[in-house]
Amino acid sequence: MSDQSQVNRSRRSLVIASACAGGAAAVATSVPFAASMLPSERAEALGAPVEADIGQLNPGEKMTVEWRGQPVWILHRTKEMLEEIERTDGKVADPKSERKKGELTPEYARNEYRSIKPEYLVVVGICSHLGCSPQDRLKPGPEAFESQWTGGFYCPCHGSLFDLAGRVYKNKPAPDNLKVPPYTYLSDTRILIGEDKKKA
Amino acid sequence: MKALVVLLALAAQLALAAEEPVRLDSAPIDPRDVASLQTGARSFVNYCLNCHSAGMMRYHKLLDLGLTEQQVKENLLFTTDKIGELMNVAMTRKDAKEWLGTAPPDLSVIARARGPDWLYTYMRSFYRDPESATGWNNMVFEHVAMPHVLWTLSGQQVQEERKFKNMEQAEAVGRQQKNAWKIDVLTPDQAGKDGERFILKTIRTETAGSLSQIEYDIMVRDLVNFMTWMSEPNQITRKQVGYVVMLVLLVLLVLTYLLYKEFWKDVH
Amino acid sequence: MAAAEKQAVTGAGPFNDLLTWIDQRFPLMETWRKHLTEYYAPKNFNFWYYFGSLALFVLVIQIVTGIFLTMNYKPDAAQAFASVEYIMREVPWGWWIRYMHSTGASLFFICVYLHMFRAMLYGSYRRPRELLWIFGVLIFLCLMAEAFFGYLLPWGQMSYWGAQVIVNLFDAIPVIGPDLAIWIRGDFVVSDATLNRFFAYHVIAVPLALLALVVAHLLALHEVGSSNPDGVEIKNVKDPKTGRPLDGIPFHPYYTVKDTFGVVVFLIVFSMVVFFAPDAGGYFLEHNNFIPADPLKTPAHIAPVWYFTPYYSILRATTDDFVLWVLAPGVVAFALLLIWSMKKNSTRMTVGVTAIVLLAGLLNLDAKVWGVVLMATSVMIFFFLPWLDRSPVKSIRYKGPITKTALTLFVIVFFVLGYLGTESVTEGRTLAAQIGTAVYFLFFFLMPWYSKIDKCLPEPERVTSK
Repeated sequence: MSDQSQVNRSRRSLVIASACAGGAAAVATSVPFAASMLPSERAEALGAPVEADIGQLNPGEKMTVEWRGQPVWILHRTKEMLEEIERTDGKVADPKSERKKGELTPEYARNEYRSIKPEYLVVVGICSHLGCSPQDRLKPGPEAFESQWTGGFYCPCHGSLFDLAGRVYKNKPAPDNLKVPPYTYLSDTRILIGEDKKKA
Repeated sequence: MKALVVLLALAAQLALAAEEPVRLDSAPIDPRDVASLQTGARSFVNYCLNCHSAGMMRYHKLLDLGLTEQQVKENLLFTTDKIGELMNVAMTRKDAKEWLGTAPPDLSVIARARGPDWLYTYMRSFYRDPESATGWNNMVFEHVAMPHVLWTLSGQQVQEERKFKNMEQAEAVGRQQKNAWKIDVLTPDQAGKDGERFILKTIRTETAGSLSQIEYDIMVRDLVNFMTWMSEPNQITRKQVGYVVMLVLLVLLVLTYLLYKEFWKDVH
Repeated sequence: MAAAEKQAVTGAGPFNDLLTWIDQRFPLMETWRKHLTEYYAPKNFNFWYYFGSLALFVLVIQIVTGIFLTMNYKPDAAQAFASVEYIMREVPWGWWIRYMHSTGASLFFICVYLHMFRAMLYGSYRRPRELLWIFGVLIFLCLMAEAFFGYLLPWGQMSYWGAQVIVNLFDAIPVIGPDLAIWIRGDFVVSDATLNRFFAYHVIAVPLALLALVVAHLLALHEVGSSNPDGVEIKNVKDPKTGRPLDGIPFHPYYTVKDTFGVVVFLIVFSMVVFFAPDAGGYFLEHNNFIPADPLKTPAHIAPVWYFTPYYSILRATTDDFVLWVLAPGVVAFALLLIWSMKKNSTRMTVGVTAIVLLAGLLNLDAKVWGVVLMATSVMIFFFLPWLDRSPVKSIRYKGPITKTALTLFVIVFFVLGYLGTESVTEGRTLAAQIGTAVYFLFFFLMPWYSKIDKCLPEPERVTSK
């Protein structure tokens, strides 16, 4: 009887040891498979920082550059536009860019105008709701969706509104402001999108 | 059983009868020699990348050779300014065909197709041939379309022929060569009265280039080393992972063997 | 109704309750018992019996790695070659997944060849396992198709010209051949259309058939029971009380632990290739396949991957002289032998007429046709093995010297033909391949006679060793 239990005990510990080792090996094997679905080196190369020349961009004009397959807007704001932004503080959900600080707004853009230099707005033009790209409605004036529109962006998919600093209006489907990508000024007329100053 | 032995003997003989036209020198390469790989990368970018692309290779991958981004940008980027680009050439395939007669092949994986020994011998086997269009010919790759791009470095070589009465003598002399050599065998009718049927073909330097032969060999070694690395940039990682995997498998081997023996104690 | 009345599994507790719940709706425990814990396998399996489970294991590797490869591969003539290199260089761990798949292909064939050789050693194809064997040969055919279609996908020079040559085999079929070859390719040469459809065959059509056949193979095995190195039926001697075969042990846990050990040994060999010699000296990944396909230039030396080379040698050995001096006399001699051993006059007549028709064909059609026929026959002949072998015993252990010599010769010839198929053609090699081809076919065609007259030892009542 004791012989039998001796056998069973060593058998059980061997089964457990083998199962643990085999299971660990199987999990370790699945990691490379899962990792193979991450962005490849090509995707990373395509997602590298891009340079934008803003020398030709007149006040009131907007340009779009592609960064990681997403539209990045650069808007040269006029003095009037900047004044409008100050006036919309009461209408927007997160006027001081305090939500998801690191993710949505880099520290150097955490100000009234959400930018390094007030004249130039740099944001990723993707609505924080479900990923549509909002349309330009830069001119103030009555609009179907807002009678006292002060200029900004309108998302055609679900009607979210953003002001000229990319801040989301209250009571709209979109939860957050438009994302400000990491960027830095290489010179007065050249912006590098996708990289912070501290890294470079 | 006799038929068996005969058949085996026949097969063995056939294996020996396989002929090799040019004896290839073994390339003294080492994929872990980072300095050699870096030198090779520079030679490749300077001399090969003008006509040949390496279109499956990204400049960024050169960082694996211990270079910094800055070094790559300053020393190795000529055709583009982005380190994330592939190593392409400006020339289109169509233009290449018009200018050179044939499009230079992409070199990304050429070392896996040809083997390092072939590349090493090939780059050291050009010789002057007035009959060819480019003025050059090659011992390893006869009538190759590529001219000898590195001739200012290597100097100019010519082919030499020496006749021998038997194979052993010809081979003995051939083996002393530092460059490629081959032996053409004539039929008895073709041979002269003296019966010298074995022609040893070798190359000899006629005018020296800017590098000595040893320096040139080292340069080609580095270039081939780089091309071999480039044909499979993950080869070092592959082996490192391999050692870990083998270690884990050995543990599993012991465990499963004990498990098997433990259960089979029941079976009589 | 019957299901609802099933007994609770065993004991109580949430896990057992769940099992009971499932079991009343799905035959889970029944399947488990029938195929694992109460499937009795002979206790005397030796080394050769590892390769069935190993082949199944490689199949799993191929399917899993294959799925991940399709995530990045592009079945497009302009992009295929580069996309494979993209996987090798730029996809994280892509090189590992690709090498597993390419190595798995070769090791699959090694396992299957050894598994088949096991069957030939111990007569596993004999009654009542004929259908089991036929399913197995069908799996082998599917595997060859799978390997062939898959080999085009990297779109290298060997891929391209290999496919070109093999598709042109169909061209040899009289009358419909040329149109058939065009239909298979979907173009006048191997092209983008061919690549795209071969991709479809490789990733879905053939694997589905393969999986279905594997299931059929296993079901047939569990119906008739496993054979063993002694070639005796363990079902003949049962414990009168329990009704279990005295020489049988439950597959689980005894063979599951043994096969797990086998899998680890296999993985060591597999990993040695994958990590330290993925091209296996040009045998698993051919050097010329690192040159992109060029429809205008055939490489100087083309050969199929090693697992096809024995049949390829037979194809190349079939020259006009071989047809005239070996094949035609062979047909005549074989017909005479058949007529001599047949008793019924009607069968004798049929044999005679068939032989005359064949002979007329041999003397009139191209050797090219007969090369293809011989190559196809060299594979198809395996189907008939259960009926060609007429020995009173199953296992080589009790067979006589003639059978042993014949099998040894066959194995040697298989290797020699395989080796010759990787080499370029010379006169001497062609002669050797022709001798090899003759021996290859004699092994099968003379089997009904030599297996019968051979002096065999008596089979034991029960299995012998351990």
